[in-house]
Amino acid sequence: MSISTQEPQPPRTSRAREVDGATPGTPDAAPARSTARRRRGPSVPLTPKLVVGLAIVAVTVLFAVVGPFFVADPSRVDDIGLTPPSAEHLLGTTQTGQDVFAQLAYASRGSLIIGLVVGVIALVLSGFFGVVGAYAGGFVDESFSLFSNVMLVIPGLPLVIIISSYVPNKSVWLVAVVLAVTSWAGSARVLRGYTLSVRSRDYVLAARVAGEPPSRVLLVEILPNLVPLLASQAMFAVIFAILGEAGLSFLGLGATGSFTWGTMLYYAQNGLALRLGAWWWFVPPGLMIALFGAALALINFSIDEIINPRLRSQTRRARKRWHLDRPAPVAAGTTDTPTEATA
Amino acid sequence: MTDMTPRTTRRRVLAAVAAATAAALALTACSGGAGGTGGGSSAPGDKDASITVFNGSTGTINENWNPFSPTALQPTLGVIYEPLFWYNLAETSDPTPLLATGAEWNDDGSELTVTTREGVTWSDGEPFTAGDVAFTFNLLQKTPELNTSGTAATAEATDDTHVTLTFPEPDSFMQEAQVLGNQAIVPEHVWSGIDDPITTINPEPVGTGPYTLKEFSSQSYVLQKNESYWIEGKPSVQEVRYISLDTADAASASLLAGEVDWMSSFLPGLDQMLEGNEHISYVNTPALTTSIFTCSNADLGCEGPQTDPAVRQAMYWALDREQLNQLAGGGFAGTGSPTLLLPERDTDWIADPAHATTPAGADVAKANQILDDAGWEAGDDGIRAKDGERLSMTIQTVSGWSDYISLNDTMKQQLAEVGIELEPTQLAWNEWNDNQVKGSYQLSLDSIGLGASDNPYYTYNGKYLSANSAKVGEQASGGNYARYSNPKVDAAITAAASTSDEAEQKAQYAIVQEEIVTDLPYVPIYINSTLTEFNNATVTGWPSNDDKYAFAASWKAWDNGIVLKTIQPAG
Amino acid sequence: MTFVARKLGFYAIALWAALTLNFLIPRLMPGNPVDQLVSKLAQKGQVTPATRHAIELLLGADTSSPLWKQYLDYLAQLAHGDLGVSVTYFPAPVTQVIGQTLPWTIGLVGLSTIISFLLGVGLGTLAGWKRGSWLDNFVPVTTMFQSVPYFWLALILLYLLGSVWAVFPLHGGYDVYTTEIGWNAPFVSSVIFYGTLPAITIVLSSVGGWMVGMRNMMVSTLSEDYILTAEAKGIAPGRIMRTYAARNAMLPSISGFAISLGFVVGGSLVTEAVFSYPGVGSALLSAVNSNDYALMQGIFLVITISVLGANLLVDLLYSVIDPRTRNRS
Repeated sequence: MSISTQEPQPPRTSRAREVDGATPGTPDAAPARSTARRRRGPSVPLTPKLVVGLAIVAVTVLFAVVGPFFVADPSRVDDIGLTPPSAEHLLGTTQTGQDVFAQLAYASRGSLIIGLVVGVIALVLSGFFGVVGAYAGGFVDESFSLFSNVMLVIPGLPLVIIISSYVPNKSVWLVAVVLAVTSWAGSARVLRGYTLSVRSRDYVLAARVAGEPPSRVLLVEILPNLVPLLASQAMFAVIFAILGEAGLSFLGLGATGSFTWGTMLYYAQNGLALRLGAWWWFVPPGLMIALFGAALALINFSIDEIINPRLRSQTRRARKRWHLDRPAPVAAGTTDTPTEATA
Repeated sequence: MTDMTPRTTRRRVLAAVAAATAAALALTACSGGAGGTGGGSSAPGDKDASITVFNGSTGTINENWNPFSPTALQPTLGVIYEPLFWYNLAETSDPTPLLATGAEWNDDGSELTVTTREGVTWSDGEPFTAGDVAFTFNLLQKTPELNTSGTAATAEATDDTHVTLTFPEPDSFMQEAQVLGNQAIVPEHVWSGIDDPITTINPEPVGTGPYTLKEFSSQSYVLQKNESYWIEGKPSVQEVRYISLDTADAASASLLAGEVDWMSSFLPGLDQMLEGNEHISYVNTPALTTSIFTCSNADLGCEGPQTDPAVRQAMYWALDREQLNQLAGGGFAGTGSPTLLLPERDTDWIADPAHATTPAGADVAKANQILDDAGWEAGDDGIRAKDGERLSMTIQTVSGWSDYISLNDTMKQQLAEVGIELEPTQLAWNEWNDNQVKGSYQLSLDSIGLGASDNPYYTYNGKYLSANSAKVGEQASGGNYARYSNPKVDAAITAAASTSDEAEQKAQYAIVQEEIVTDLPYVPIYINSTLTEFNNATVTGWPSNDDKYAFAASWKAWDNGIVLKTIQPAG
Repeated sequence: MTFVARKLGFYAIALWAALTLNFLIPRLMPGNPVDQLVSKLAQKGQVTPATRHAIELLLGADTSSPLWKQYLDYLAQLAHGDLGVSVTYFPAPVTQVIGQTLPWTIGLVGLSTIISFLLGVGLGTLAGWKRGSWLDNFVPVTTMFQSVPYFWLALILLYLLGSVWAVFPLHGGYDVYTTEIGWNAPFVSSVIFYGTLPAITIVLSSVGGWMVGMRNMMVSTLSEDYILTAEAKGIAPGRIMRTYAARNAMLPSISGFAISLGFVVGGSLVTEAVFSYPGVGSALLSAVNSNDYALMQGIFLVITISVLGANLLVDLLYSVIDPRTRNRS
């Protein structure tokens, strides 16, 4: 993690503090308390942000899953060389006459696999080290937390190179595992902080006093409250993974022999696509990453609003209806009431 | 590990010594360092023309002007320090005398007598003598850490212009190019005062070359004309600046913006990029033969179908080199030779004209015939097999070598036509190199480098002599990564090395060639392009395909000095 | 005080673990520096078994001593501040290489991080204060920039602003042609000019994160009772925003900022690669590519220490600012 292949980005750390139980000012930023027990998670309001985000994700996933079945072999070279988009090649061809659209389909699949694998592994690891540690407390918590912190400062890049040196061909799976191993620690810290705050809630204490076994307390009382946060962390992990893979590929350290958005960009850059005016080769993979990342970010906004109902922004129209010239905090509190009321 | 304190002290003392002995140089350096020439290149016709060179260095530049050091900055060799002779590898020619005017072997090849040039001075004003040459070789001989060429000669200056090099063994003819053409001569009066020639970075180099150091920073350094250079009126260009760029993209942008005058980068679509740019030209001097290295010798532990010569021959014939050149080589590659020599330059060394060049298109019928005869039978999936072994091989290359990766993609398609399956893998450079040295690979894409001179000995000795190989798992540092072993070839190479008679050498090489064109432990693809781009606005007289007075590439040691003293301000 | 002692102990262990990994990682990597140099020479000319021998002697490659001894030597050297000799830049000591590159990285990445932080927090405060305004609706757009692959954005901007419209220079840290390194006006202004485009790209791609974080905290804080009280007392809105809300809302952002400052020395491999910027990142990349153990370790060490230092600082700061942290657990 410490050798960032993307630019130094604050959100993970600032979020970490934001939802950290140690932070003052967010005691009730928790999901609607005991609601969770009955309804298995709070309601998800279908905001435009969420709809757009979900739509883009759905289209991308569909393209990645189905696309490769309908396109030609992406490695197939052709004597035509670099050509702009045409009816035969929807997105033109690369220097060696390979079809860009076909590559894009396979690359979407590769990148999404990386994102998915990293998301799942990071979720499991961070959940284990963050939630379990924080719940168990004491020595277990201390050692888990120490381990997470050490993992946070390990330089990820050389680790990628070492691990991959034991495998003859760096597949997308391998890159994904390496990215996951080096990326879970941040979310483990976030989850730990949050779990600590949930653990000390009255109803959890009550359950423990009532003699519920620890595993049940953890799974039934605490975990449902963590679902939105877990989802948001997983989505961050997916974005991180896709961007991280692209960064590694740009440096020539990414997956080999398979197509991802990152490797496509890498070959385009190596072929000086931009300088040669071959936008059809350079722009699409980057745009796919940007769109997909933005879609996940939009979904995350919605999740944030679930975690912290105060964030649910009023639209201009709503405010006009209420004759408010500015969003007074009181009003913000008022709009939250319906959610609370469902409790 | 080295302690830092003594190093700093030593360097300070050294600087003081150099400053004292080279007061004149120091003065000019100081007075010249204040201004700057302004812009990437000066205006055409400017008498004080300066040019900017990108020689492939990336990132931060670390100062090191020690001509013995493997990490010395590239212009140290040839531009600041000069060798005795210079070997032009761009075309067939006799060695050009630089610091020497002649050299002669005794009959049994154990003594080489060199006549040194008179009237040459070091850049600090001291005269150059045969004593400096003797000192250089003796320093090398005394200091194994610096002796990367393995030169074992001891030297003695018989008078001011003659020096005799004595080799421990007779028949040392093949050391000639190394000794005469690949060793920078250093001044005895400076280097005898350097306590630790191994780790010195030689911050104030005193050489005989056409340029001297003007200023250095970790991002760029400037060499300035050596006013007392031994050829009157040369060099004509006042200053040469070297810069560092990280990517081909940055290099191409700088070239087009006129910020770089001389560089060697493979730029795809170069012609398209240069359209409408009248000042920029390029020259293509293919020199390195891109080949499929095969781990060919089952006796030494190689495994896989490529240990069968028939498979290697079939690959040789099944490749469509025109298509490979078009798609992977950018159309710039030259035609190679199954003898692994350069067909254009080495016509005289290739005994049988039939072996001069590789076929252009694919001969699928012939490749199929060879495989059929060898018992490889077509399988259901289109891939041949023999005794249950599928004709499938992995081919390794370095991730990021995009033209090689394209080659693999294209060859995979071409070889599938004859029932050979190629599985390309991409590795980190370290691992790729380690695999080749230790023989743990099946096929590997690499290129054959330039030798010390155009004598085929340097290619054949390294690549085919069994003594330069090793068992799989052991390091073949000599360069015979194919693990090739053939007594006939061994004998011929040894015989060629023990004579200075070129006719006899040629006869021996004919034997080698006859063997290797059928065994093909290295399957030549093409001669990879070496593209060198020039900006003609400031200076003219760059090497061209019509006038190959030196190897044009900006990264080439030695030749840089020749080019820099030949070019002239434009207009 | 036990809290501080425990924290320090915790960081000591983390440091030791990082140092040990730092020692082990390069030794698990394939190949070795000798091969690297030999092959580099092979491209220049003839290589013989003697070459290998000479380079082994030159580098003093000592792989014969047992690992535990190498480990002890390594720790002893670190204690003396000796980071060894770089192979890529032989015979330059690692400290010299780091010393040459670190100022560039700290200057560029450090300044951009600060600018990005100030800009993000400032805009975030406004967006949170004026919820639903155009600025607030703009927040999701800025996160779009975060999702764009950084190098892709940087390359496009470099192509447009460097080549097509030649507004900014194409590469490097300063104008090597006309200026000389030193505290003189032309050099300083050229450094600023050359750093502008890389800084803009970094700010563009990271400002969104600060903005979202700050905006969300601002919104949460604004619903606190004490804000309501302040409003009821008739305190001027601007004063409420700055003194009451933003001050409290900024706490998490400040700790995030301290941590990201720790990551600054790690530089940015990608920025430096795109702009041919002479920082630590490019030195690290060349070290990795040439198996330069000593240089890699040296750079990791600097990164590790600064990241741990920043974390420690945040922990200690928090214990001062928020006493609850100390009492918990």
